[in-house]
Amino acid sequence: MSTQKDQQAREQLIDLAAQFYDQFELGEIPHMSVPTRTKNNIEYDEGSGVWVYGDRESTRSANSVRGARKLLKAVYTIEFLADQLEEDRSSTLRELYYLSESWDNKEAQFSDQDESNGLIEDLEIVSGVTREDFHMRPEESGATIMGPLHLREQTRRGEREIHCQEDVGEGGYQIPNNPDTIEFLDSDADFMLAVETGGMRDRLVENGFDDEYNALIVHLKGQPARATRRIIKRLHDELDLPATVFADGDPWSYRIYGSVAYGSIKSAHLSEYLATPEADYIGIQPADIVEYDLPTDPLSDSDKNALESELEDPRFQTDYWEEQIELQLEIEKKSEQQSLASHGLDFVTDTYLPERLDAMGVI
Amino acid sequence: MTSFQSTLGEDAGIAEELAENQQAISIAEFFEKNKHMLGFDSGARGLVTAVKEAVDNALDAAEEAGILPDIYVEIQEEGDYYTLIVEDNGPGLTKESLPKVFGKLLYGSRFHVREQNRGQQGIGISAAVLYSQLTSGKPAKITSRTQGESDAQYFELIVDTDDNEPEISVEETTSWDRPHGTRIELEMEANMRARQQLHDYIKHTAVVNPHARLELREPKAEFKFERATDQLPEETEEIRPHPHGVELGTVMKMLTATDSHSVSGFLQEEFTRVGKKTADSVIDSFRDRHYGREMRWRPPAPQERIDLESIVSDATANKGADATAAFAGAIAEAVDDRDRIAHHELRADVEAAAEATESEHGTTFGETVRENAVEAVWLALIDAAEEDESTPGDADAAGDGETVDSRLVSDLYDLADDATSTRKDDEVVHAFADRLGARFEDKEDVRHRLTRRALREYVDRAAELTEEYDDVAFGDTARENVVEAIWDVMATVPDDLPLVRELADDRDAASDLVDGMRETDIMAPPTRCLSPISADLIEAGLEKEFDADFYASATRDAEVHGGDPFIVEAGIAYGGDLEAEGSADVLRFANRVPLVYQRGACATTDVVKSIGWRNYGLDQPGGSGLPNGPAVIMVHVASTNVPFTSESKDAVANVPEIEDEIELAIREAARELKSYLNKRRSMQQRRKKQNVLGKILPEMATKVAEVTGREEPDIDDAIARIMNNVLVERRIEANGDGQAVSVVVENNSSTTETLEITDIVSAEPRKLSDGATVVEMDGEWFVKWEADVGSGDEAELEYEIADDAAFDLDVKGVESEKLTVTEGDR
Repeated sequence: MSTQKDQQAREQLIDLAAQFYDQFELGEIPHMSVPTRTKNNIEYDEGSGVWVYGDRESTRSANSVRGARKLLKAVYTIEFLADQLEEDRSSTLRELYYLSESWDNKEAQFSDQDESNGLIEDLEIVSGVTREDFHMRPEESGATIMGPLHLREQTRRGEREIHCQEDVGEGGYQIPNNPDTIEFLDSDADFMLAVETGGMRDRLVENGFDDEYNALIVHLKGQPARATRRIIKRLHDELDLPATVFADGDPWSYRIYGSVAYGSIKSAHLSEYLATPEADYIGIQPADIVEYDLPTDPLSDSDKNALESELEDPRFQTDYWEEQIELQLEIEKKSEQQSLASHGLDFVTDTYLPERLDAMGVI
Repeated sequence: MTSFQSTLGEDAGIAEELAENQQAISIAEFFEKNKHMLGFDSGARGLVTAVKEAVDNALDAAEEAGILPDIYVEIQEEGDYYTLIVEDNGPGLTKESLPKVFGKLLYGSRFHVREQNRGQQGIGISAAVLYSQLTSGKPAKITSRTQGESDAQYFELIVDTDDNEPEISVEETTSWDRPHGTRIELEMEANMRARQQLHDYIKHTAVVNPHARLELREPKAEFKFERATDQLPEETEEIRPHPHGVELGTVMKMLTATDSHSVSGFLQEEFTRVGKKTADSVIDSFRDRHYGREMRWRPPAPQERIDLESIVSDATANKGADATAAFAGAIAEAVDDRDRIAHHELRADVEAAAEATESEHGTTFGETVRENAVEAVWLALIDAAEEDESTPGDADAAGDGETVDSRLVSDLYDLADDATSTRKDDEVVHAFADRLGARFEDKEDVRHRLTRRALREYVDRAAELTEEYDDVAFGDTARENVVEAIWDVMATVPDDLPLVRELADDRDAASDLVDGMRETDIMAPPTRCLSPISADLIEAGLEKEFDADFYASATRDAEVHGGDPFIVEAGIAYGGDLEAEGSADVLRFANRVPLVYQRGACATTDVVKSIGWRNYGLDQPGGSGLPNGPAVIMVHVASTNVPFTSESKDAVANVPEIEDEIELAIREAARELKSYLNKRRSMQQRRKKQNVLGKILPEMATKVAEVTGREEPDIDDAIARIMNNVLVERRIEANGDGQAVSVVVENNSSTTETLEITDIVSAEPRKLSDGATVVEMDGEWFVKWEADVGSGDEAELEYEIADDAAFDLDVKGVESEKLTVTEGDR
């Protein structure tokens, strides 16, 4: 199955190269159009409830020296990826960047990693194949899951069946770079709890929250990697688990929630594959800061700007978010998840989460 | 300190004693001691200056005679002594004038002439002779042959420095191979350390005299500069001085020397661009300055109830009722007809009325009667009449019971009110008019005659008082506006002008005349006295002597400085074999003479340094100073009198009018340079892009072929399109026993291109498509085709030819950077 998929990905890449070939033959200037990946060209798709790219395109054309270099690099990268798929190997984005140094053509070498990352994104969009299917990995390891979930993972050393509580240590189950290699076997979980910070995840695990509430605790590690978002999406869609996000009470954490729920600018072409619009936000809500009298920090200017721009952001144009954001702007304060510890180490598992989850109708 | 005053008793004789020691020195003797002033300050420089003077003379002589100059310069070395020989093909000199030309300083035909010439003072060549005799002790050897003479004259002479006269030691006839011309041989103590300057001088002379042929032979080298044109510079004409730019001293001298009696005649006779009308303007301007203008007041309005008729009648005694009434009526009517009236105008009106009444009624109106009438009316007009007991009540009617203004004040108020800004308070303007009126009233001369300066003083005084008492600002602009408004209504007086001889003795009056001349608008002087090189010949001259990629030039219109017309020309050469390191060369010329010394003191250099060359695409470290790069910048100032910083004529003085023109001329030429450099830069970028893409795209094509597992694609079309290039492709296709040829032009540029395509083939082409022609020449056929191809369009030439025909395709009309020519099978 996987090989067939690899083969398909490979063909799609070669089609792309063939497109350049045909352009040459027709006496056309070789070119490639991709949607402009800026905030201005991100649209909220009402149907799927996620962010997708708008109609604006930028063209990489051999018309200019810059454009010609880009296309040359694209062709070299296509060759590299096709070979990689053929040999069933994989590499990281950073490795691709360094690997280009070994190419015989200086003009085809990348000048920085942003350039190679961007090119991979271009190829993803134009070929309709995901990075994971190119066998390209990000640097950081994926995040972890802890909870009553039994799954089967396709690993390099064959299939492994893993229970995400019984077969793993305190650290939990490590999400692989391509979560599509996972097959869910069985689950006793009632819902997912995606947690922003490692400290809070460890607190929940130590307090046995996963056991007590049949929760799958997914560690987001800040802005979540694509694999993390993908697995949340799959768990939600395939096992029908409600997804909840538990983050700090500041504008940046709201964006983490936003990317889980609606997708991000850089990967808007994959929003339908990565985003879980049904995901709910637990907190910390600005209302909680007031209600639980949490220790706070004052909002900085950039916090305020971020909140203001979130008010403009279609993702947050709901009564709920407008109320919360306006409240926060009014009190001019923010709190971290772990500020709940001011009421004791068990406060979060004994009081805060049950109360919030109950209010949200999850438990 | 010792006093030499003769009044000191015991030293009574000292002044006489000192006076004995004082004596006139001859000009030759003076320059003997002041060689540096003429450019003979060192042996090195002396040689260059001597060459320069001799060559300048030679060029002038040949040109004046309408001969294309052919000049030979030879320098022979004999130890510390050098012999300089300069030969020309000029008209030669007569036996009588020759000794004076070479042996007398300040002898020349051009000093008093306003006409462009190289030499002016008549110092140059005789100074060279003087220098030669001083350093070598040997006389100058001069040969000259005039046209048609069978023999040449040979002289050996020196300058007698005591009386500045030539002293001839040898005088004989000789034979000479030149049909006409002059040859001078000077021996002098010198050296060749200034060889570079010498070469510069000769080379630069060749640049600005493209019609001259020059040859320089040195002990170890020889240089020839051929002529680039057979066109002699246009002959110049002498002109009279221009009224703008003569100084008071000169005018006074001219006044003494002229034959004219009247000022008008003097102006028209002695100056250029002055006719009757201009002379009248100058004279009016002179009158305004010298005599002042008279204030014109408004005639009385009906509501003022000033009855001029009765005033005249009252003032006229014993003339009979009818005549008096007619006289008074005529005056009143005449005054009333005028918008404003000045004293002398009233006087004229009264005279006219008197004459008319006299002839009609036979009554004599004598001088006294006329005087009385003028005085009575004038005093009424300026409100200075002795008032009757009864009048105040009457006058009040106009003033609504308040204190009534005098006529002068209300008149001045209206003028001032119009002239000052609307923001000024009415009260203030009124107070000001009141004070200004008082100045007029206080004036003893009831004619109210004022120069502009005096008027300004009145206004200033009134304004100061207003500022002081009313505590408001009455600034300079407002004052000037008021002066302007009043001066405008004032009338120039008809007083008789002084005669020219009176003016000559009256410094102040002459000064007023000079001011009047400067004030008057006068057409710029004629330029036929000037002989610019012309923009075309400047380029030709530069091209001849500098191997550059680009040449530009500009010739400005004539302008005037100090009464002398001048023209500035500039030229720029760039690129090619010019020295790229260091700063650009600045070639300076005055009246076609290269200036090689004192570069730093020259206005030309100052202007070049002040221009922001970066704007014109040249490198300029620090944004000022001389630009860097492979450039030559030349500036030529042609004038009837080029202002030099010194007698040695090395540097043009910093005269603002000339500097402005130099700047404009350089900028004009520099703008062309800029567009050339911009174009070159864009072509360079195109070439660079072509180079990079020419490498990347084939590599990309190879890679694409590799990845897709196909053959390498043809990328010519794509490249031509990318480069916005014009693609010319010659394709052949087998066609029976011959081949069909098609030459396709594909224009990918943004403009319409016109191509001239020539395909030279070794067999006769058949079935040529429309528009193409074929010419046979020595067994080769030239297929010619001219095509206009619009942007994005294609055009095609087709013909058939034998299979084995060789061909050679040539495309013209498109820059090579923009052209891609390919050949291939169809």
